[in-house]
Order: sequence, then C-alpha cells, then structure tokens
Amino acid sequence: MPLLKEETHTQQSRLAEYCKTGVFPELTGVIEDNLHHYRRLVFNIGIDTIETAYPITYRFLPNEIWDKLVYDFYAKHKCQTPQVWRMPLEFYEYCVEKNIQAELNIPFLNDLLYFEWLELEMHTMEDVPYPSFNVNGDSVNDVLALNPEHKLVKFAYPVHILAPTELEGKAGDYFLLMYREKENGRVQCMDVSILYAYILEQLQNGVNIQAILTEADTLFQINNFEMLKEHALIFINDLQQRQFILGSLTS
Amino acid sequence: MQLKNNKHIGIGFRKDFSEELLESTVLKPAFIELAPENWIGMGGYWKKQLDKAAEKFPITCHGLSLSIGSPDDLDLDFLYKIKKFIKHYNVQIYSEHLSYAKCDNAHLYDLLPIPFRKDAVKHIVARIKQVQDILEMPLAIENVSYYTPVAAEMDEATFISEIVNESGCNMLLDVNNVYVNSFNHKYNAKEFITKLPLDKVSYIHMAGHEQISDTVIIDTHGEAVIEKVFELFEYTTALLKPVPVLLERDFNIPELEELQTEITRMETIVSKTWKKEHAIA
Ligand SMILES: [Fe+2]
Repeated sequence: MPLLKEETHTQQSRLAEYCKTGVFPELTGVIEDNLHHYRRLVFNIGIDTIETAYPITYRFLPNEIWDKLVYDFYAKHKCQTPQVWRMPLEFYEYCVEKNIQAELNIPFLNDLLYFEWLELEMHTMEDVPYPSFNVNGDSVNDVLALNPEHKLVKFAYPVHILAPTELEGKAGDYFLLMYREKENGRVQCMDVSILYAYILEQLQNGVNIQAILTEADTLFQINNFEMLKEHALIFINDLQQRQFILGSLTS
Repeated sequence: MQLKNNKHIGIGFRKDFSEELLESTVLKPAFIELAPENWIGMGGYWKKQLDKAAEKFPITCHGLSLSIGSPDDLDLDFLYKIKKFIKHYNVQIYSEHLSYAKCDNAHLYDLLPIPFRKDAVKHIVARIKQVQDILEMPLAIENVSYYTPVAAEMDEATFISEIVNESGCNMLLDVNNVYVNSFNHKYNAKEFITKLPLDKVSYIHMAGHEQISDTVIIDTHGEAVIEKVFELFEYTTALLKPVPVLLERDFNIPELEELQTEITRMETIVSKTWKKEHAIA
C-alpha cells in the first residue's frame, strides 16, 4: 500500500499540471489569488533556461512563434533531467521529434538548435582523460593523438557561419570541428571542408596521415598526391598549433 | 562541520561571481554552499573553478531536484551521483527543500508546496530514511516559502516537526522563509519558530525577498536581507546551539563589499548569542 493517498497525489498532480499548462486547476483549500505565482515562477525558469541556451534561435523566430513553441514544449513535454542546465537538450530533441522545422517551414531549424546546444555541451561536458603522446614523433607516419574533447559534426546548412536570415537556399554539406582548450576550457569552432572532415574522421579512427592521404587522393579523385600532401600538412600544422593534434600517440 | 576561527557565515557559490570570490580579499565566507545539480557532471572551465573553490573553502550542498515531497519514486541514479559528489568534495552538510519539484515524471525546477497532510508525512518520512540510508549521512530538510497551502489538514509547524521527529533527519531553518510565510499567511514568526524541532536544527539560511503587494512577499534571493529578518535571526540564534549560517544571494548580485557587510553583521549577531568558542559539530 502506498503511504501517499490517492487524494493527496491528485492535489499534487493538479498543481504541477497547472504549472506546466497554465490551465487553472481544481484544488482544495488554496489561496486562489496566489496560485499564479507558481505558474509564473516555474514557467519563467523554463523560458529563461531555453532562451539562454538558444539565443540565436530566440532572436530569429518571431515572438509569437517562439512563445507558442516554448509554451507547447512546457505543456506537453515531461522534463527528465534533474539538472536544469541540461534541459535545453530536451527542448532540441522535442523540436526534432515533433518536426517543428517542417511545421514552421524553417529547414535549418534542427541544425541551428543543435549548433547552439553543442556550444553549451562542449563548454560544460565532463572532462575526458587525455591520451598519452609524444611531441617529437613523425606526424605523417605515426598515429596522432587528438584533443579528446572535441566533436566533428555535419550540418545541412551553414548555421555555424551565417546568420539565420542568410541561410535560405544554402543547403549543402557543411562540417564543423568544435574542441575545448585544455588550459582555459574555451570552446573553439572551425569550419572544415569535406576533404578535411574526412581527414579528421580518419584521424579519429587512428589512421596515420600517409594512409589517409593515399586513400583520399583516390576517393576525392585528386590524383595528385604531392599537392594533396602539401595542402593537408598546412592543415595538420594548424591543428598542431591549436593543440588539437597533441603529438604522436604512445600506448 | 569544522569551521575555522570561530566563523559561522557562508555564502552561496554562484557562477556569476565565482571568479571574483576566488580572488577576493573583500568577501571572506567561512564556507560556500552550492547546488550539486548545478555542478555534477560538469567539466571544463566550471570544473576548474569548482576545484579551486573547494581548495579554498569548505563546501555544503543544498539540493534542488531530489523532490523529497514528490509522489514519484526517488531518482536513485541521481541520488548516487549526489553521494559521489558529496564524498569527492568532502561535503559535511547536505540539505534539501521540504517541497516537490517533480511530479508525474516531469521536473518543474521549482519548489511546489506539499499538502500538509498525515499521509504526506508518512510518505516523506519513509523517503528521507531511504535517502539517509543511501547517503550514509543525515539529510537536513528546509522549511520553504509557500504562497498557498494545498488541501492542508494540519499547520505548517506541525507538518515540519512530525517529519523531522519521525524521520530522524536534521533541519535547515530558513529564517527568511519563516518571515515570508508569516507575512503571507499572517502568523507570528517567533511563535512559529518556537514550535519547530529546534534541537534538530543543523544549518540556517538567511536571504532577502521582494514584497510585490500589500499581501504577498516573494522569496527571490535577489535583495539585501531586511531589518526584520535580521531581528528574527537574532531571536532564533539565541534559541539554538551554534550551527553554520548561509547567506543566500542568487540574483541581482551586488558588489562583494555589500555581501561582506551582511556577513559581518550576522557574524556579530552570532558572536553575541553564541558567546563561547564552540566547535560546530
Ligand atoms: Fe533557503
């Protein structure tokens, strides 16, 4: 037998539901004039958290559309995380699941929200242990050690480069490398071409530069290994300067 | 919690002024309090700040999302994360609100009032015992501000006392919340305090609030502590053994000098009421 009676549970549920929807509840023994403070306080925390997480989307969407979106989310969705700063991820997932971008006819909405979430996620995510590495290795033939706190993502719109108002008609393949600097925790963004995204992906897989470029030369129909290598090494060098490539992996 | 130099007053550790606090020669709290929810699983810049803070100050934890008054089951995964966090940072006091913030599988991230009812007491007592068993330490539950009772069958003081006495937990006495509730629900704050299980008080909160109408005060933690709350604090501390006291300031953060002035004032009050050199247990 549960200790809490059905009747008490019902009262608690009704107040909670009211805070989610704003639809006035039937409750016993309440100060009706004061109930709205709960709705306001709960809803404001939700709105503030979402608007802080998605400032670009918030400014881009017309007010009435944004307000309805946030209202619906709060009314329909059951927030699962006990940590309110992680809640914006649920907002993004809700928008994807409900296909809000189709409903609003904004084909880059999911990408934009995801980009904004990633910035937050990269800044706050748990520390990842660094691999052991040697800075005096051979960067062409050794397997390279990467900053483990990074994400390589593909977008259908260049949401990381252009303002939302400039995105119409820009559908394509876009790649973004995001990584967190070890010393200060700063998050860096780097727009990369499809070729460089391929190189990064293979580096993630533990393939060395020589092998990656040999494969890429054919795959991208470049058929000029030396030229490819020359360009790629500039890119690799840049990543070393940025301490994204740490050195040669030592096991 | 062992506090140094017979100082008792701590401050809420907020991201808004963490950098300033860590370097400050102005603000000198005896300890800092933080919500574990805001820090568990966080890495990068903020983790570094937290670790620096932990080197400099003792830490107390004041939870937000355990939702001790919820009809839902306790979130045990989350509770074990709290336990790990508490162990890692050597936290001596873990408190939570006597309210609910989650219901029917949805988090609301705010503190809703629990119906002051017999069955709710039994339900919460069992949950507190479960939490204490898992954490292997006492939980301190806090009297919260509330703007309406819901389906009450007893008064607030009875509700709190029964829960504290039956569960064997400690109490976090929020003096400002008592003041806010005494204003909103028109009762005598001092009388209310004498009805509480004062021997179980292990921690005190002090804060500012905002009066938004003739009849309603909202507990905002965004203003300076008012005179009447200081007065109630002095009255309350005279009834208690020495315990750590926390100044909550969550919004509208002023210059650190202003916070230190409030801390110094509280320190002066307790140095009178808790005259002897006590080691705080
Ligand atoms: Fe409090």
